Amino acid sequence: MTVAAESVVRLENVSKTYGSGESAVEAVRGVSLEVEAGKLVILMGPSGSGKTTMLMLMGCLLRPTSGCVYLFDEEVTALDEARLPRVRRERIGFIFQGFNLFPALTALENVEATLNLKGVRGEAAREEARSLLTRVGLEKRLRHLPEDLSGGEKQRVAVARALAGNPPIILADEPTGMLDSKTGWLITETLKELAQNEGRTVFVVSHDTRITGLADRILHIEDGQLRH
Amino acid sequence: MVSIARKNLFHDKVRFAVAVAGITFAVVLITIQTGVYLAFLANASVLIDHTEADLWVTAHGLENFDFGRPFSEKKLYEVEEVPGVLWAEKYFLAFGYWKTPTGSQETVQMVGFNPETMVGAPWNIVRGNPQDVKYFNSIFYDEAETNRLGNLPIGGETEINSHRVRVVGITRGARSFIQSPYIFTSFKNALNLSFVSRGNTVYILVKVAPGHSVAEVGQRLKETLKDVDVYTSREFSKKTRDYWMINTGTGVALLSVALMGLVIGTVIVANTIYTSTTEHLKEFGTLKAVGASNRDLYKIIIEQALINSVIGYGMGMVVSYGVIQIMRKGNLQVLLPWPVLVGIYILTVLMCLWSSTLSIYKVTKIDPALVFKS
Repeated sequence: MTVAAESVVRLENVSKTYGSGESAVEAVRGVSLEVEAGKLVILMGPSGSGKTTMLMLMGCLLRPTSGCVYLFDEEVTALDEARLPRVRRERIGFIFQGFNLFPALTALENVEATLNLKGVRGEAAREEARSLLTRVGLEKRLRHLPEDLSGGEKQRVAVARALAGNPPIILADEPTGMLDSKTGWLITETLKELAQNEGRTVFVVSHDTRITGLADRILHIEDGQLRH
Repeated sequence: MVSIARKNLFHDKVRFAVAVAGITFAVVLITIQTGVYLAFLANASVLIDHTEADLWVTAHGLENFDFGRPFSEKKLYEVEEVPGVLWAEKYFLAFGYWKTPTGSQETVQMVGFNPETMVGAPWNIVRGNPQDVKYFNSIFYDEAETNRLGNLPIGGETEINSHRVRVVGITRGARSFIQSPYIFTSFKNALNLSFVSRGNTVYILVKVAPGHSVAEVGQRLKETLKDVDVYTSREFSKKTRDYWMINTGTGVALLSVALMGLVIGTVIVANTIYTSTTEHLKEFGTLKAVGASNRDLYKIIIEQALINSVIGYGMGMVVSYGVIQIMRKGNLQVLLPWPVLVGIYILTVLMCLWSSTLSIYKVTKIDPALVFKS
């Protein structure tokens, strides 16, 4: 998959406030940001700095209190709620710190279920799931349940799942947070390849300084604002 | 296609077993109680429903069939004079005391019919010729009451109300609501065996001639006859059933237990599905994150509910079958026509779907931040 070097994700003066009145918390304050295709961007910051909120705003899981979010120049903040699942299905793959695999599904079925959601069914879904898992080195672990996989293997299943349906944007929340340094490095290398070799936009939220060497760009956020 | 619903359900075997057990329990309770209720209902009017009569003439103010009171048999002649009456027959019903071989007594209900015309005769003969009741004090009893009445064979003798009687046949399917065995004999024998004076009858059965409306003939009878009541067979059947089911509270008691089963089943399944949903909330959130709509999540929960309903219903039917066999050995009747079984399945599905509503509400309100918590 190739995408022209263009602004894939764009935030314009985005703010997000939780709650109201005296208990209101401004998690993100007036953030403007552009992320191009083919780049691995890492957003770093202390706990409570607004990293995860930023990820949710970019992933159309949260609506900003103010400002606009664009994906491929389409203002997703203007879309009504019912259309956002489609946006996520077609454009975004998520990777979570806790892997978030279905414990009752095998590695193959975890990826296959995501493909089913994206409209790929039957043998085609099975074949594509097999191919994605082979790509991340899990061809011998297809029929294993998550409980039988190591942390690194689980995260590789999560990467394969995030690639299901060929999304141009990958959003990863602390993908190395529960992994040892070697495995974390391998996962980050995989994400780098997705950006560099396939032109995807990979946005990683992390406070793991071990992986910053692989990033094309590093952003810092503190108290909801980007620090330059 | 991967069924997340099925995989989730079968993965947690203990929780799945609990849910199925809850549904099975509910299905068994509902099935048995409904079957007993329908059997009681059928028994309440079994003799009315198996005669050819279109109309019934009864003593005035009668509450139900089993409490028949005598009135003058001269009414028969008045009935026969009414235009539109094809035929009219006397029919007898009275309580009696049957002496068992051990010397104890069983209350029975003596049913007297005309063996010449066979109107009101037992309809399902196991052994013997029902016309033989014309012989002196010759009787039929129902095979379901064999043990209770002392296992008398054909030709065996005992006493009813201190009168010697002889068994000439066995019937099937004639059981009263009040569980007093029906004893079939001729009208004349029944009258002799009872404490009712001669010159009386308890019912008059009427057949309407072709070309005449039952309602019209019934109305004419009401206008002609004094001090008696006239019902169509359907009306008298309903009146008798309503008396036992509603007035005595039997129906309410039986259906209350069935309702209780339904409520308990719903609570157990709702709790199980809700707990399962709560424990899998992160996965539901993940599904949403990867692009599932709320509708996709509802489908998973509903599929789980439906799988539970099918398996629970199947298990419930198996257990119910076993329970019914035991009940029949204990001489208890259960009536379950197939439309009722279909209805119970539909009820089971609705119960499981209803149980899912809380879970559906829960997934609708998932906090997206949940998927980012490790």
